[in-house]
Amino acid sequence: MTSQDTLSRELALRIGLAARALPDTDAKRLFTVLTSCIGLPITEEKIGSLNLKTLKTAQEGELSDIDDALLKKALHILKHDVETVATRKPEIVSLGEGDMPGSVRIACASNDAVNVDGHFGSCSQFMVYQVSADETRLIDIRSTDIPDGLEVDDKNLYRAELIQDCQVLYMASVGGPAAAKIVKLGIHPIKLPSVESIADIIAQLQTVIAGTPPPWLAKVMGIEASERFRFEREATG
Amino acid sequence: MALYIVEADCISCGDCEPVCPTNSITEGAIVFKIDAKTCTECEGDFDIPQCVKVCPIDNCILPLEA
Repeated sequence: MTSQDTLSRELALRIGLAARALPDTDAKRLFTVLTSCIGLPITEEKIGSLNLKTLKTAQEGELSDIDDALLKKALHILKHDVETVATRKPEIVSLGEGDMPGSVRIACASNDAVNVDGHFGSCSQFMVYQVSADETRLIDIRSTDIPDGLEVDDKNLYRAELIQDCQVLYMASVGGPAAAKIVKLGIHPIKLPSVESIADIIAQLQTVIAGTPPPWLAKVMGIEASERFRFEREATG
Repeated sequence: MALYIVEADCISCGDCEPVCPTNSITEGAIVFKIDAKTCTECEGDFDIPQCVKVCPIDNCILPLEA
């Protein structure tokens, strides 16, 4: 059916959610009613023209038995953007060439975009930040969904490659073989003993960067060996 | 013959310290270090150096050039 092809993902989602708000109504029933009153294709504009009366009288009053309050609620869902993690996400600021010297790029395995609450192999996204001693920028959010049609032999390797440009990866948990794949790609995995907020993790990291970063961190941050030597002498006294 | 720890790569996990049969590994000011005077590369105790075996980082523990 070609008519369904023209239905946007967003509208399809709204119809599904609106149907759920109505008693004994599945998406198909609501879709049929909508088709009968505004015709195909169903567009944002046509949905916007719907009102309670047209919905009630559509298809010989198919929905006329339903309570007005519920229909109003369904209408509201149909006409407004669905709030999902995708639409609620915080603002991404791009990183220009040469921006933020002395910084490290980190990825946080997350499900809620706020905490490091994800298992490496199952989290829904990686939040990617550029962190320096005095600045933090969210530069990307990478969904771990495998695109349709893409054949992936090794899911964990696919996930690790998503964040190959990062130097450090924080997560709530990770298995041994997966951690080995992460290390192989030059990413330093850090498994947290408990779920912590991304903001707290970044604050801790900034303290380390501002102080004397351990040699491995200084190395991945691109601090010259001669600079590191200075740290070493200071630390050894 | 002895091994040494590449300072820039060591993450101070400490896994190598307890597996050393000659107790040559200690935590230094920056990272862990191997005492070249006592390190035997595990010869006589094991087939392969135990610290290299447990170290999570590739090429972090290397033989000292003679």
